[in-house]
Amino acid sequence: MASQLSFAGFAWKNLWRRRLRTVMTLCGVGMAIGAFVGLVGFSRAFEQEWLRIYSSSGTDIAVIEGTFLSTSLDESAGEKLKALSTVAQATPVIYNMMDLTPEVNALAYGWKADSYEFESLKILSGQRFHDGQPRVMLGDLLADNLKKKPGDSLEIQGSPFTVCAIYHGSSALEADAVILPLDQFQKLSSLQGKVSTIHVRLRPAPAGESPESYLKRAQAQIETALPGLRAVPAAERASNNQLVRMAHASAWGTSSIALLIGILGIANTMAMSVFERTREIGILRALGWRRWQVLVLIQLEAAVLGLGGGVLGIAAGWGALHLLATLPQTASIVSASLPLPLLAEALGIAVLAGLTAGAYPAWRGAQLSPVEALRHD
Amino acid sequence: MTSPILEVKGLHKSYDDGRIQALRGVDLSIDAGEFVAISGHSGSGKSTLLHMLGGLDTPSSGSVFFKGSPLGSAIDLDTYRCLHVGFIFQAFYLLPTLCAIENVQAPMLALRNGSANREPRAAALLREMGLEHRMHQPPNTLSAGERQRVAIARALANNPSILLADEPTGNLDSENSARIMEILTGIQKTHGMTLVVITHEDEIANSAPRHIRIRDGRIVQ
Repeated sequence: MASQLSFAGFAWKNLWRRRLRTVMTLCGVGMAIGAFVGLVGFSRAFEQEWLRIYSSSGTDIAVIEGTFLSTSLDESAGEKLKALSTVAQATPVIYNMMDLTPEVNALAYGWKADSYEFESLKILSGQRFHDGQPRVMLGDLLADNLKKKPGDSLEIQGSPFTVCAIYHGSSALEADAVILPLDQFQKLSSLQGKVSTIHVRLRPAPAGESPESYLKRAQAQIETALPGLRAVPAAERASNNQLVRMAHASAWGTSSIALLIGILGIANTMAMSVFERTREIGILRALGWRRWQVLVLIQLEAAVLGLGGGVLGIAAGWGALHLLATLPQTASIVSASLPLPLLAEALGIAVLAGLTAGAYPAWRGAQLSPVEALRHD
Repeated sequence: MTSPILEVKGLHKSYDDGRIQALRGVDLSIDAGEFVAISGHSGSGKSTLLHMLGGLDTPSSGSVFFKGSPLGSAIDLDTYRCLHVGFIFQAFYLLPTLCAIENVQAPMLALRNGSANREPRAAALLREMGLEHRMHQPPNTLSAGERQRVAIARALANNPSILLADEPTGNLDSENSARIMEILTGIQKTHGMTLVVITHEDEIANSAPRHIRIRDGRIVQ
């Protein structure tokens, strides 16, 4: 039987000696990391879906005034944009969240009937709307949720609309959305003549000019022609809009609280462990162990707790995302896949949490005088 | 003429802001390869002296010299304990999470080299102690005599030049006591180690070629 003693093996044996406490601590860290994986995974999937909307429609630049959620931009700016040499197409858009029923809240888009954005949608049944009509198109997921089909009526904020088409969008954010004629959306929101953004498709970059330089030149041209407005590249828009930022902030905020609780759990376990093993630390010091070696052993135990909790947490987070991806209420914006960088980040955070939590108990253990530690009961 | 491996000059140790004087000016010289027994009543200061000799504690005043170099300044105490001293305690102090062979390897972990030799060396030491059949047993399944033999093997792990034993037979019956002392004196003779044994048993103290008595923190003989 091989019994080569190593620091890692010693650390594991120390943890395994108090199985219940170790398992409970692992569960605590696992829940924290699970919350991180689930929430941050959710918010990143949300960001990816925004990016998909822009990339599938071919939007290069979003022109906005103020913030993403404000609907204060004059619709007429669209015509001025179309006159610019770099702009191929410009289409005004409104978006907002709307209560369609007491239970169903969906993202609503206001598009003009001739918007190029329709090119990325696949009409599954019915026909597209025309401007000026009280008609709506429903994403397939939302239509399923609402149990609506073309020809059915749908009341939005007290106004009657007719479902004219069911579509499938490339992004999950479109699949669970409703699209109204822009003028109807403006009327409904008492925002006549105003839009949230104007999406712009650029003409192809001239030969010899890099796409990045062309994009910057187009931005500058737009912002010069329309002072007071901002031309934001689509990729930046997807990752840096208020909704995505809010999702990221709430994900990090919530998981930070969970991580803090996990860190306190490990710190408590390690502090108790060091206290209970004071004499053993004295023995190790008597055997010639240096302070830093005692510190490494205790930190290794804390890191193992963090790593083990991280693995458990990833499994729990993956399970939660899978569950959310199957629920009709959340399937549209939840992807069950876990990107590798997120897994690496989760494991890194878990180990770092362990090391942070173990730092003080390890320092305390390392500072013990050998003879005093040996006298400890 | 053998040179002293350990020298103690004017050693004082006090506790509790000087209210307790454990050692009151001890001078002592121990030659390399010597077997010394130190005896005294409880609270006489014998264990405190052993802790100072082993670098487990630092004196309030005075110095301990190892081969002429003062401990704690010329020689780092951790290095001294790791490379030059092996401890044997009355209560064995085996690490409960480790089996016998792993306990013997514990001091070797403090060395930053020779990881491949740890297990074979530990196994050889345990065989030397007659424990080849108990190598993978945790301490709580070993008898008191077996535990002390594991502790002796552990004390020898880094091949020290000094063995310091604090009441090594204090928790053993007479049969096991005799065996442990036989092992310790055997090691002292065959390996030429310096052996310092703290004891309150006259039989053990008188069996040593040199017997030092300590009373109230002072050497009396």
